[in-house]
Amino acid sequence: MLIEFDFHQCNIDGNQTLSTYANSSFSSRKKHVWYKQPVDNQTGKLYGEPVRSHSFNVVNTSWFQVALNHSSGYSSLENGWNNGGEPLFLTSVSLLGKGVIAMGVPVKRLTDRLGGINLYGGSLSLITMDGKLLLNGIPNTKFIYVNGTIFLQFMWPNGVKNFPCSNDTPETYKVDTDGKEYNVRCSTVEISGVQSVYALALPHEGIASFVYSKINYSHIALVVTMVLLVIPLVFFVSSMITNAQREICLHDKLIKQMEATQQAERKSMNKSLALVGASHDIRAALAGITGFIDLCLANAAPGSDFETYLKQMSLCAQDLLGLLNSILDTSKIEAGMMNLEEQEFNLADLIEHVVDLYHPVGMIKGVDVVLDPCDGSIIKLSQAKGDRGKLKQILSNILSNAVKFTVEGHVCVRAWVGKHDFETEILASTRKGLGKYVPRLFSDKNEGNGDVKAESAVRQNRDLVEIVFEVDDTGKGIPKEKQKSVFENYVQVKETAAGQVGTGLGLGIVQSLVHLMGGEIGIVDKEFGEKGTCFRFTVFLTACETQGAAMYGGTNSSFAIRNSSPKLGIRTPSPNLDGSQVVLFMRNIERRRVSQKFLESLGISVLVVDHCHHFPSALKKIQSKLNSLLNSSRRSDMSCRSDISSSSSKEMPLSAMEGTEHKLPFNRRKDTPSFNLLVIDVNAESFSELWRTVAEFRRGLHSTCCKVIWLDKPTSPCIDPKRLDSRDEILLQPFHGSRLHRVIKLLSEFGNLSQGISSSSESSKHPYGKTRLRHTQGNDEIQGYVSSSNERYSKQGSSSPTLERTRGRLKSKRKNKDGAESSNGEKPLIGKRILIAEDNKMLSILAITTATQLGADVEHCENGNEALELVCDGLKAQRNYDYILMDCQMLPMNGYEATRRIRIEEERYGVRIPIIALTAHTSGTEAMEAGMDAHLNKPLKTNELMEVIESIETKE
Amino acid sequence: MDLVQLQRQFVDYRTSLYHEGFLDEQFTQLQELQDENNPDFVVEVVSLFFEDSERLLNELARALEQQSIDYKRIDAHVHQLKGSSSSIGAQRVQKVCIAFRNYCEEQNVEGCLKCLQQVRHEYSLVKTKLESLFQLEQQILTAGGSIPM
Repeated sequence: MLIEFDFHQCNIDGNQTLSTYANSSFSSRKKHVWYKQPVDNQTGKLYGEPVRSHSFNVVNTSWFQVALNHSSGYSSLENGWNNGGEPLFLTSVSLLGKGVIAMGVPVKRLTDRLGGINLYGGSLSLITMDGKLLLNGIPNTKFIYVNGTIFLQFMWPNGVKNFPCSNDTPETYKVDTDGKEYNVRCSTVEISGVQSVYALALPHEGIASFVYSKINYSHIALVVTMVLLVIPLVFFVSSMITNAQREICLHDKLIKQMEATQQAERKSMNKSLALVGASHDIRAALAGITGFIDLCLANAAPGSDFETYLKQMSLCAQDLLGLLNSILDTSKIEAGMMNLEEQEFNLADLIEHVVDLYHPVGMIKGVDVVLDPCDGSIIKLSQAKGDRGKLKQILSNILSNAVKFTVEGHVCVRAWVGKHDFETEILASTRKGLGKYVPRLFSDKNEGNGDVKAESAVRQNRDLVEIVFEVDDTGKGIPKEKQKSVFENYVQVKETAAGQVGTGLGLGIVQSLVHLMGGEIGIVDKEFGEKGTCFRFTVFLTACETQGAAMYGGTNSSFAIRNSSPKLGIRTPSPNLDGSQVVLFMRNIERRRVSQKFLESLGISVLVVDHCHHFPSALKKIQSKLNSLLNSSRRSDMSCRSDISSSSSKEMPLSAMEGTEHKLPFNRRKDTPSFNLLVIDVNAESFSELWRTVAEFRRGLHSTCCKVIWLDKPTSPCIDPKRLDSRDEILLQPFHGSRLHRVIKLLSEFGNLSQGISSSSESSKHPYGKTRLRHTQGNDEIQGYVSSSNERYSKQGSSSPTLERTRGRLKSKRKNKDGAESSNGEKPLIGKRILIAEDNKMLSILAITTATQLGADVEHCENGNEALELVCDGLKAQRNYDYILMDCQMLPMNGYEATRRIRIEEERYGVRIPIIALTAHTSGTEAMEAGMDAHLNKPLKTNELMEVIESIETKE
Repeated sequence: MDLVQLQRQFVDYRTSLYHEGFLDEQFTQLQELQDENNPDFVVEVVSLFFEDSERLLNELARALEQQSIDYKRIDAHVHQLKGSSSSIGAQRVQKVCIAFRNYCEEQNVEGCLKCLQQVRHEYSLVKTKLESLFQLEQQILTAGGSIPM
């Protein structure tokens, strides 16, 4: 039998896959030719040349036969062909029963791969069901084959144990070997078609311990992570807590603080209220005390000790009232209740008034209070608008302090309009653009907001002017380190305040007031060695346009108030200018200096004499100069003022003018006589001495006019008016302000004409009566001044009204007599019915009596209602009253209402009863409006009543 | 006492009253109003004035003591006082009343209180003066003399 046998076998030999095949075209009896050819691992294709190989006896092997007979392939473990018969897993498939294709995979490869697996201390054994051991990894074991079942036999020194392994389901056994516990797992497994059994021994703790060890690590890692998580958490929480605690603490404090604040505010409120209440009560009590003191004073014998004590008491009470007021002011300011009350006033008058108030106070102490007009800008300003009262308060306070703390020397008050001319500044800045303006603002910011505010306020109102005040004293002064604190409330400079009373509130109030008026207050540094303190403060006032009333109303003089020239002193010399010579002889240095400065600023030549010894000699000098100049000027025309002044100063030997400041620029014109004005302070020397000197001087003058102003103390006049020349005048100290202006007006340049003087001298026959100066202009002012402040010498000024009054009285008396005569004779009102409505019993009796005396038939009622009723009754009974005298303020119905009603009632009867109102008011407009015919002022006077009745009669 | 001396004293006293401003011509008028029909007219009116004034002064004092002062009322009182004082010619009282009213308008308690004191003072002064005048008058009358005009 020919068996077509085709054998084709592939196996992997070493690293190279080889295909071994034999030609099957031969009969099985014959020897087959075998070839070997390498196979490409990737594609499975043969390549290279087939090599003839030695032949294998394959056909006779059992697997070949089995495979040949199986149709579906057969797998078995067989020994290989080459390299010493290495066992192979052989998978063979028959090809139509004619041939077999087999593929072999070496066992070693599998075992190598299995043996290479790391089992973590475990081991693996493999055996085929045929009993061919593939791998024996488990120590001390072997497979035994008993009755078709394979057992795994463990061999210990003390015995053997078998475990069945050929079950299909895996079974696990626990085995103890060498003190180690193993889990042994046995089961069947098919390896490339070959049934086999495996046994896997794993140490019981092996993997677990590995896991455990890993668990430890993970635990550590976990713990570390946790810790890392917890730490910031803790930190966070703790910080949160501390924050919260702090916040709570702060809240707590805040609440406490707020409570405390509220309490403090409440307390303060209560305090203020209590203060107000208390001050009210204290004022009431104080008013009582002063009232009673006044009562006592009236009863006290004049000149007695008792009276002096009472006066002291009265003064104390006044002081107390002042203190109380200052405290009240403070509380007002603190409460922000202080408001400015703007009104128009004359600033110059105000300042002078305040200074004059303190002048006597100073005089008592020997301190002169001087008003320095400075550049005269205040006089030019004239009317200003602002809080007059507060400004006065400020000035008074500072001035009183100055006078209080000055023992010797002087207190000088200066005031001028601030240089800061906002109007021009704004104009300039708008012209130049904003650029200039902005840096100013910034620089101001550094100085404080107050300035900016004030300035902006100022800018809003262009009429605002800054007034600067300075109060300069020669007192003890305030130590530098204390200068800041004096403006604080309740602060007193103890070193200097010894023996002085006060609450220390004054300057605090002053500062508040100054701030209220938009200004600043401070202490000006004095030069080293100068005594005293100099307070300077500024306030803002609104300048009012006045009707340009010239103060020094000279026709040719430019010395008008609304002068456009910046300085008062700049004077355009008028053609008929007559250089007047003023000699000032005053003892007080400061006053002398101030007066001189002011006069000189006006272009008046001033000779100042500071000592009584120099006075006669100075006068002599002037006399000789005048006479010589008079002569020389007749010869040569020297109209140039400067020339003369220089030449005269050269001519004049200075040594002869010791102690006199040489200011003698004589300005003379040929024929006009120079006017000399001597201002002499009588207190400097005894009056008689001075008078003699002056009289001598007068005699020496030929044609020049000479006028003497005697300055006298108001407290102790020492001038004998009888001895004075008729042209002389007496002025009371202080010589400043309006008095100074008055003296200036005497000068011919400033309105007084030489004929004016002569006429005044003619007109004033009475030695006192000369105060009424015959000026062409400004007469009224001087008169006003005279009557206000110099009553003693101003008989004429004030006499006219009194005269008129007396005349009026005389007239009334005469009338009274007429009335009396007529009442005695015919009684003018006889047969007349008069109704008198008057609620005051006394007044009604008076009125009734008056009317009865005049012969009238009088009825009386007490109010408007009754009057109305009576009138109505009268109307009905056709017995009308002829006149009704009606009081206006009555209850329940007043006179006006009653009149209105009566007028309505009357109308129906077509009559009109004359109603005469009795009022306490001067104006009877309301009465007229109510329909009354006339009004009389209470108390009722016979003649007035008759006049009114007569006028009504004539009207009818 | 000698009648002539009394009469002189009376005249002096009366002129001094005028001179010191306690009385003005209104009082003269008052005296002129007095005649045979009405012999006690002046005394009557003056005593009425005293009554009136005392009442008003008391009311004023009470009004000023109040916590909230009713200035209108005070003004009315002062007005009355002014009227009555001017009626008898008590010049000084009248003057104080004018000042009083000014303070009242300003609602100035302090001023009002002060004025009240002054009014009281002036009133008491004028009262004593008038009383002594009347006393003198009485003395003259009892002595059988006539009142010199």
